[in-house]
Amino acid sequence: MRLSLGRLLKIFWQSLFIQTSWSFPSMQSMGFLSDLIAGVGEGKREEIVRTQKGLFNTHPYMVSYIVGAAVRAYDEGRASPQEIKKFLAVAQTSFASAGDLLFWRTLRPALLLLAVIIGVHYGIAGPLIFLIVYNIFHLFHRVKGISDGYNLGWDVIYLLKTRRFKLVREVFEAAGAVLSGLLLSLVAVNIQYLLVIPLMSLFMIMLTRRYSAVLIIISVFLLVLIIGLV
Amino acid sequence: MNVILLSLLGALIILDKYALGEFGISQPIMTGTIIGAIFGDVLFGIFLGAMVQLVFLGGLPIGRDIPPDGQAAGIITVGSYFLLRSGNSLGHSLFLAPLLGLAGGIIGGVLEVSARRFNEKLYVRFMDHEECLYICHTTGLATAFIRGLCLFLPLFVLSALLVVPDACPQITKDTLTIIGISIGLANSLYLFVKVKTMFYLFIGGICGLVLAVF
Repeated sequence: MRLSLGRLLKIFWQSLFIQTSWSFPSMQSMGFLSDLIAGVGEGKREEIVRTQKGLFNTHPYMVSYIVGAAVRAYDEGRASPQEIKKFLAVAQTSFASAGDLLFWRTLRPALLLLAVIIGVHYGIAGPLIFLIVYNIFHLFHRVKGISDGYNLGWDVIYLLKTRRFKLVREVFEAAGAVLSGLLLSLVAVNIQYLLVIPLMSLFMIMLTRRYSAVLIIISVFLLVLIIGLV
Repeated sequence: MNVILLSLLGALIILDKYALGEFGISQPIMTGTIIGAIFGDVLFGIFLGAMVQLVFLGGLPIGRDIPPDGQAAGIITVGSYFLLRSGNSLGHSLFLAPLLGLAGGIIGGVLEVSARRFNEKLYVRFMDHEECLYICHTTGLATAFIRGLCLFLPLFVLSALLVVPDACPQITKDTLTIIGISIGLANSLYLFVKVKTMFYLFIGGICGLVLAVF
């Protein structure tokens, strides 16, 4: 069983809108249903909406794996809607946690650090490198996720233990640590730059004590205000 | 550049945050580049975008948690800077633009919650009329666009009209860099430094200091 290019493109296109109607009670539900219907076909639209509506939330780039596997299940017609729903419940949590760790916590901040350092030193090369490298990984998961999900069916979850996730995360964690140190290259040899040490310590304490993000932003706001007034 | 056009551009870019694609175009370093290029000073746009990026490096949109809107803060900081610059000195513009941007980031987070509450109504409508799935779903694009416009337009109008007296506080590019590096270092150490990555941090730190000195 193979997924045609046309269906793959339809699923891919709809997956770009997965979070468009994100809301608190249903999260990505409408986005997921639209994506699933794009893959399965309008013929089963009513059945899918009736049986699969309800809360759905996963990492936006990882939804491709889940939709691919669900489309396969509908194509084969062997699994009941309840069985598909059970698979979705397990898969969305597993892929959400893997995607958050890989993209939000590792790959994106590491590449943004790289973009900042190169951007401040060399200009437009920094943002361009970020855009290209980030989207190679992003689009790889969006597109390959659909075909892997379709080919592996419900076994797609086992992909989370492969090098695609683990190795990339480890490499970018190491790269992120190197880049954190390289951030010091933005410092000028000037006595006033010694202020970085106490300020960084202050923000570090706020982060490790898990102060809310709003409070940290308010602190930066006040800092700019106080320095301006002084 | 026309304030309305800049607000429309900002509202379009902010769709990338979650409503469409999420390609990373809305990240502050990218918006700094785009808006800087439009105003004819890419390098300063990148610098401002980079500083805002460092502030919001750790803002992770996980689950139901909605942190302050770093993407909106980037657009507002860079857009406001160039609008302020037409009638104010460099120091005044550098002082006010980040303040507007940070305030905009916090307001943006609040507006995002409101937009998502509005999407709840779309979901309720879909539950009552299942045939309306696509209409209800794509209306979310309009919600996100209008949220962006409501956030950017007033702040950009304010920036375009604001002429501050000389007595108003100023800051320098160096001061902004110090604040950016401080919170950027704290964010990146918090995200990346573990026992197994200490060696890499050490190597990066040595290289960074060498680059800074020479």
